[in-house]
Amino acid sequence: MAEDRARIERELDRFLAEDRSSRRRFLGRGAGAAFLASGLASVLTACGIDGTAAISPAQLAKEAASVHHPKTKIGDWVFANWPLYMDKSVIKEFDRRYGGTCKYVEEINDNSDFFGKVRQQLAAGQPIGRDIVVLTDYMAAKWIRAGYATPIDKRNVPNAKNIVSNLKTIAYDPKRDFTLPYQSGAVGLGYNRKETGRDLKSLKEFFNPEWRGRVTMLNEAYDSAGAVMLMEGKNPSTAKLDDMLAAIEKLREQRDKGQFRKFTGNDYTTDLAKGNVAVALVYSGDMVQLQSDNPDVKFVYAEEGSMLFTDNLMMPERVARPYAAETMLNYLYEPEVAAKLCAYVNYLSPVDGIRPILERTDPEIASNELIFPPDEVRAKLHAYPPLTVAEEQAMYAAMTEVTGN
Amino acid sequence: MGLSLRQRLLPLWFAGPALLWLVVFFAAPLVNQLSVSLMSGNSEVGYDLTWSFSVYSDALSSYGAEFARSVVFAGAATLIDLIIAFPLAYFIAYKAGRFQAFWLLMVVMPFFVSQVMRTAAWKLLINDNGFLVGTLRDIGLVSADGRLDATSGAVILGISYNFLPFMVLPLFATLQRIDRRLIEAATDLGCSRFTAFRKVTVPLAIPGIFAGSLLVFIPAAGDFINARILGSPNTTMIGNVIQNKFITVLDYPTAAALSFILMTAILILIAVFGRLIGTKTLTEAAV
Amino acid sequence: MATSSLTSPAAPEAPAAGPRRRRFGAREWELGLWALLAVVFLLAPVVFMVVFGFNDNHGRFNIDWQGFTLKHWSDAFSNSDLTTALKNSLTIALISTFVATTLGTFLALALGRFRFRGKAAAEMFVFVPMATPEVVMGASLLAMFLVIGVNTGYVTIVLAHIMFSISYVVVTVRSRLAGMDPHIEEAAKDLGAGELTTFLRVTLPMILPGVLSAAVLAFALSLDDYVITAFNNGQTTTLPLYIFGAARQGVPPTVNVLSTILLLTVLVLMGLNVAVQRRMAKRAGGAGRA
Repeated sequence: MAEDRARIERELDRFLAEDRSSRRRFLGRGAGAAFLASGLASVLTACGIDGTAAISPAQLAKEAASVHHPKTKIGDWVFANWPLYMDKSVIKEFDRRYGGTCKYVEEINDNSDFFGKVRQQLAAGQPIGRDIVVLTDYMAAKWIRAGYATPIDKRNVPNAKNIVSNLKTIAYDPKRDFTLPYQSGAVGLGYNRKETGRDLKSLKEFFNPEWRGRVTMLNEAYDSAGAVMLMEGKNPSTAKLDDMLAAIEKLREQRDKGQFRKFTGNDYTTDLAKGNVAVALVYSGDMVQLQSDNPDVKFVYAEEGSMLFTDNLMMPERVARPYAAETMLNYLYEPEVAAKLCAYVNYLSPVDGIRPILERTDPEIASNELIFPPDEVRAKLHAYPPLTVAEEQAMYAAMTEVTGN
Repeated sequence: MGLSLRQRLLPLWFAGPALLWLVVFFAAPLVNQLSVSLMSGNSEVGYDLTWSFSVYSDALSSYGAEFARSVVFAGAATLIDLIIAFPLAYFIAYKAGRFQAFWLLMVVMPFFVSQVMRTAAWKLLINDNGFLVGTLRDIGLVSADGRLDATSGAVILGISYNFLPFMVLPLFATLQRIDRRLIEAATDLGCSRFTAFRKVTVPLAIPGIFAGSLLVFIPAAGDFINARILGSPNTTMIGNVIQNKFITVLDYPTAAALSFILMTAILILIAVFGRLIGTKTLTEAAV
Repeated sequence: MATSSLTSPAAPEAPAAGPRRRRFGAREWELGLWALLAVVFLLAPVVFMVVFGFNDNHGRFNIDWQGFTLKHWSDAFSNSDLTTALKNSLTIALISTFVATTLGTFLALALGRFRFRGKAAAEMFVFVPMATPEVVMGASLLAMFLVIGVNTGYVTIVLAHIMFSISYVVVTVRSRLAGMDPHIEEAAKDLGAGELTTFLRVTLPMILPGVLSAAVLAFALSLDDYVITAFNNGQTTTLPLYIFGAARQGVPPTVNVLSTILLLTVLVLMGLNVAVQRRMAKRAGGAGRA
């Protein structure tokens, strides 16, 4: 049935694509025909929704091993990223040095929203018209497993050797065949010193009745459930679905006691700065920024450890200009460039050897522990656990019941 | 009276383009969602049409509280907006004189600021240690250690705020049409000003009240942004559930089923509401 | 004596006589106070937003007041992605407002003025898009665009915005239309005015305040939409999309500044419009008397 549908869609595509002017007329004047076509379209898609069934790791490894992207001209290519997540002079410099034109689009507002937008094209095996996309771990994992990502031809990215040691491998992409980290952030304990009256250091504070109703946690299940597991001395990076569900159940118990004011995205910034909440689960990158306006706001890497999320550079399936994308990847892994980027975004850089550069150019950043955590902290940063698509769905179903928003 | 062909075709020319637009870009795509709501599966293996109607009863029984909350919040916001908007629209229509355009501009001003920005501003305005909440505590509307942010009140406030102009504009457009000589005639005939208002102005304004209430209530019932930014885990509305099921959980059948339940519920409400006040007074007002 | 752009010439004029006014409006100041408070309520977050465009924030968040600065004003247009997003939002809103208001007004006229088969169904059908959760509308529309092979982008955003604005226009215009005396139009026709003349000279002026209100609503809906646009935008960014994504890093104060500039532009345009109308009205009045 799926094949039939694909075939009919292709036929329809071809019919419509024959020449642009006829399609325009089709949409403009031939209203009856347009109605017919859209009704037809509905019926066609009504047969089912493609799943993101996993491709076997062996198959993925084979694909990665055989990848070859010959050197070509850079040309016009597309880099899709989050807003305010790039020092634009880096892009300009890249265009100048390598030629071609990078169309840099700040179009990713949310991992899930972006996936929702391109999901149907990916599932149908169509190109999505972007050469690099930046996605957070769990979304990157989903793309790789479903075969929505193109392997990186490492010969074009020699600088990849500069990757920091704790990110060299990750459960969903053990050899970094498909992804290179762009920026990382730690999920830690944020608090307003004026409201707490003392310094905090343990994740247990999130369940401390002293702060009842004045605590926020993140609505991202990996972050909050991971923090609960760390609190209990478990390793969230190797968690199974049941562990995550048990942690979410703990969150529910606390929620029912009125422990949490709300579950947030990064809008906890207002609550924390204004003293609405005393304790919050927060992203390190936000805290660097928030502290510069409000010295009462504190961040600690909790003694139990911290979750680490990474945004990854990757190429979608059927990428049009893989060589251009890989050249950019290589460029972003030059320590000089990475240092510039780090000074702009203030997250944890995945590129080794940038600290000496920043000590020279921007000593304040180089000495900031939120950006360059000490080694004993770094050792306790935990990546998200690898869950299958179905497991992840079950986890989110449970989590949204608790967070409610 | 025989109608010429041209006259008989006239309604078609008037109604056709808009209806066609809605059919092509709204109804036809939505047919697809109707079948999605009857699918089952998960996001790994995909979803197939199995005609499983149970998703509807499951959705309804699991999220009854959220449905109820949406109706209550939207209803409260509609009422609040009506109370705020009627005198305001009345003032602008009759008393603002040469400054009418200026007042209307003030009403629509918030529209030129993105809703994300406005709601974020509200979050700052109603923070626990702010002036507004302090004042509310002083006058006893909020308890001494109470808060406004992350409560049902905050969500209702946010919704009322966002949709207030949707109430003011149709009310203004209707009130402004009323021939004030009718009101004067009533007072000349011995009615008190209040009676004249109740017996003449309000009935004549019914189409505006009706339209304004619909424009506020319907989108408010499906709203999720206010509950997300200004609410707490205990103020979840059905819009949040649908948004979550669709975007985060990727449970498309449940999201679609909940949507159709919401749409049906709203349409029934409109029909009932319309029958109760709408149609009767709509025709009366036409005199 | 049309006093404002939103006052239709055909609207019944309020008698300006002194004694009448006193009897009718003894409580005028109470009403005025209420209106003032309502507007304060409406404008409070707007003022807040404007003020924080002058905040000398150090980090990227714009939450705590740090002192006055004009620096965000001097580089208001320096972020080209933001200005492009703003430009897209404005042009999309203008186009979709124009089309949706035109289509919706005619539909409202059809529903309010004619009897035809399927009218009851059409009336109910108009409410359905308003009652549909945006996420479902956005996703199914995207599915259709993909299947018929239309690339999503600027055009599909416009198509979608027109779609969800039409219902609001219809409801608003109908409220104005309801109870309006159809005999006036018939009288015009009896007096020999053609179909078109009647419409342009009689019907349209009568419903104009409703149409303008509807246009403002359509404009606002388009300018503010996030969910449906997020599905159908392709690589075109609009202001809400930009702000939503920027929130992850902290919404920059230049967004406040650009919004303020937008407000000021609208204020000035409205002021000019009123001035021009007033002058034209005065001239017309003078000519009429002469």
